[in-house]
Amino acid sequence: MSKTANLKTKLRAWLYTRFPFLAHKAAAKIRPFSFENTPWAPIVKPLSEIKVSIVTTSGVHLNSDLPFNMEDETGDPSYRIVPSDADISTLTITHNYYNHSDADRDINIVFPIERMREYVDEGRIGSLANQHYGMMGHIRENHLGEYMNKWLPEVAKMMKEDSVDCALITPG
Amino acid sequence: MEANGIATVGISIEKKFTEEVKPPRTVFLKWPYGHPLGEPGAIKQQRAVLDVAFRMLETCETPGEIIEPGYAWKRHKYE
Repeated sequence: MSKTANLKTKLRAWLYTRFPFLAHKAAAKIRPFSFENTPWAPIVKPLSEIKVSIVTTSGVHLNSDLPFNMEDETGDPSYRIVPSDADISTLTITHNYYNHSDADRDINIVFPIERMREYVDEGRIGSLANQHYGMMGHIRENHLGEYMNKWLPEVAKMMKEDSVDCALITPG
Repeated sequence: MEANGIATVGISIEKKFTEEVKPPRTVFLKWPYGHPLGEPGAIKQQRAVLDVAFRMLETCETPGEIIEPGYAWKRHKYE
């Protein structure tokens, strides 16, 4: 992405956060994918026994990991693994399509890992999964096939192997 | 994920997308982008959103349901 395009994207992200009606107006033009039937898995045990994994589309990843690709204006459909015991000082956000300056100060507003640790300590939920998943939500149609058929099934498989009961999904 | 037996609950700040995508369980907040859990350092606010989400896991029986707690941005007092 050229410097001018990057600046334009960042300005737009700032405007969308400062003036939410502009964001909703822009969103009205986007056609998201949709399902005929909503898939459904019930929770069959008490919350105090469930294992939770966080999936965020806010662009969170370990600062030692490869950042999401901001050069492709149609998005980056891949994911990054965030180990459950990661110190929040080792996390960062790569996402030019929303203003994350507040989330840079407190990552819990997009990736509530510290709140979830509190819930486990208080016995309100059973445990946290071994790992959580950072994605970058700005994905256009050309990446949807790869996203739906490759990356998401991989994440679901890892969660199943980790005996996850619930995924908490947060946007940016 | 639900097809793999993993229950999901999501937080949304863009209602149009949620209504069209129809995820299984969603907590919708009319808050600015970049703030699905609220404001930085506002632990009570962040927990209030999570409380609604986890309560929904227990109580929601209708796929596609959207719960709107109606917390006004920067005006709601969290106990």
